[in-house]
Amino acid sequence: MSKSENIDNTSNELIFGSANPNAIEVKDLRKTYTGKKIIKEVKAVDGISFSINKGEIFGLLGPNGAGKTTIINILCGLINQTEGDAFVGGYDVKKDLSKIKELIGVCPQQAAIYQYLNAKENIELFGNLYLVKKEEINKRMKGFLDLLGLSEASNRKAKKYSGGMLRQLNLIIALISDPPILFLDEPTVGMDPRVRRTTWKFINSLKETNKTIVLTTHYIEEAEALCDRVAIIDYGKLVAIGPPKELIEKHDCKNLEEVFLKITGRRILEGI
Amino acid sequence: MKRQRILALMKIQYKSLIGVPTTLFIMLLLPIALTIIFGLAFGSVIMEDTGQSVFEFLVPGLFALSGLFMIIPVASSFSEDREKGLLKRINTTPTTAGEFMGSHLLSNMSMAILQVAIIGILVFIMGYRSEGAIAGIFLAFVFMVIYSLSSIGLGLITATIAKNAKAAAGIAWIFILPQQMLASGLYPLPDSTRAISMFMPLHYASDALTLLFDGIALSDFRIWVDLIVLIFFSLVIVSAGILLFKKYGKV
Ligand SMILES: Nc1ncnc2c1ncn2[C@@H]1O[C@H](COP(=O)(O)OP(=O)(O)O)[C@@H](O)[C@H]1O
Ligand SMILES: [Mg+2]
Repeated sequence: MSKSENIDNTSNELIFGSANPNAIEVKDLRKTYTGKKIIKEVKAVDGISFSINKGEIFGLLGPNGAGKTTIINILCGLINQTEGDAFVGGYDVKKDLSKIKELIGVCPQQAAIYQYLNAKENIELFGNLYLVKKEEINKRMKGFLDLLGLSEASNRKAKKYSGGMLRQLNLIIALISDPPILFLDEPTVGMDPRVRRTTWKFINSLKETNKTIVLTTHYIEEAEALCDRVAIIDYGKLVAIGPPKELIEKHDCKNLEEVFLKITGRRILEGI
Repeated sequence: MKRQRILALMKIQYKSLIGVPTTLFIMLLLPIALTIIFGLAFGSVIMEDTGQSVFEFLVPGLFALSGLFMIIPVASSFSEDREKGLLKRINTTPTTAGEFMGSHLLSNMSMAILQVAIIGILVFIMGYRSEGAIAGIFLAFVFMVIYSLSSIGLGLITATIAKNAKAAAGIAWIFILPQQMLASGLYPLPDSTRAISMFMPLHYASDALTLLFDGIALSDFRIWVDLIVLIFFSLVIVSAGILLFKKYGKV
């Protein structure tokens, strides 16, 4: 069965902001947290530059606290950068946020779900917020629920869901507008291995729809299984970037975990 | 402003009326319970000076009280949605602040109408008869809908101060208690104490309701003074609530 059957292929028809061929571009991005409550200033993002091609699955890999969520939050307009530039779909996050919001879907790190609604009601709400037509919402919703095996539970209230189911619903909501650009912040955290594999397959199937996907993760396997390229982030800095295979070969390692260890002297899952 | 967005947001707010216990309890069950209890307890207790039953004296206050308690579900629903990351998530969609706030104002104002209707029917069943004409009863709806704006505003201010939904339900009492004690019209107060309530929006709603239910002529200027002052208070408070929440409350 072709996984893309239920997913429309409208993504590449959307007009991006400029002739910029990159879906996302980040130049010397910095975010520093200062404030009364913070004793020492935190350089959450410390001068990062990269660009992401259209249709690419791009991973931000790094330990907890590396600055991955901060980068995503800047790109989807939830927080302002302290310095540097960020472009999404050719639009400047500082100037054209409303245009960017039409292009993106966001799967936040924290599963943001209305607990007193069932899966369908949650998905419908967000479909409506993106002004998707009713029939189209229903069609896409059914497709996603089937693919992830959530159909049966979809009439039950979200407060009865397991952690893994909430994460899957979180992901579906991000997709309901069929956005050309997707941000997935730790999309499979808290899923058991079986559900995680289903979800990986699902995310991989999105490739056929030509979406640009930015995915953050601290799971080495996830980065290796899904990403065309990864940026390894540590303490707000970019320490390596490239296709997983190339990075592994270049540093003469067995996997990305070893690459990270070789560059930083620490392991990803330990480091905070 | 897109209708599709506003309607979708209002729909889930209505669903919270049944799905979220705090909202269901405060918005609907509490006003119903208070009306029935007051009706049964005080329906046949006659006050010597006016010849009214105590229940009749309390009826305007029942409406006022339910509008006042609306602060709690408003505050806790904003806090809860913030805690769950839903406000941020909605913020990543093309939904505008106007559409978002507009939907909340509309749904809560319509819940105020629902409250007035339910309490109105209940007190009628329990034997209460307003002296006011139909136009007066209609004005009572208008007063309570406008008053609900101030409760929504105070709910937003509460959510701005509170760290989470539980704290919000507690902090809401800072705004509820003084208005309940001084301005609800439930308690007979000396004029000097009652003067403090001039600074509370509830004073104008309960005062107007009392006048209207007593069958005052609509040409009486007191009604219109109440209305103008209430509109002023409510607009100021709801604007302050929206601005404060937008600036400090979204984190
Ligand atoms: N609102 C904030 N105020 C202060 N520090 C913050 C805030 N948000 C994040 N940080 C800090 O910024 C750093 C990066 O956080 P984050 O981007 O969430 O990392 P990651 O997503 O890679 O785990 C961490 O040290 C975190 O404590
Ligand atoms: Mg994170």
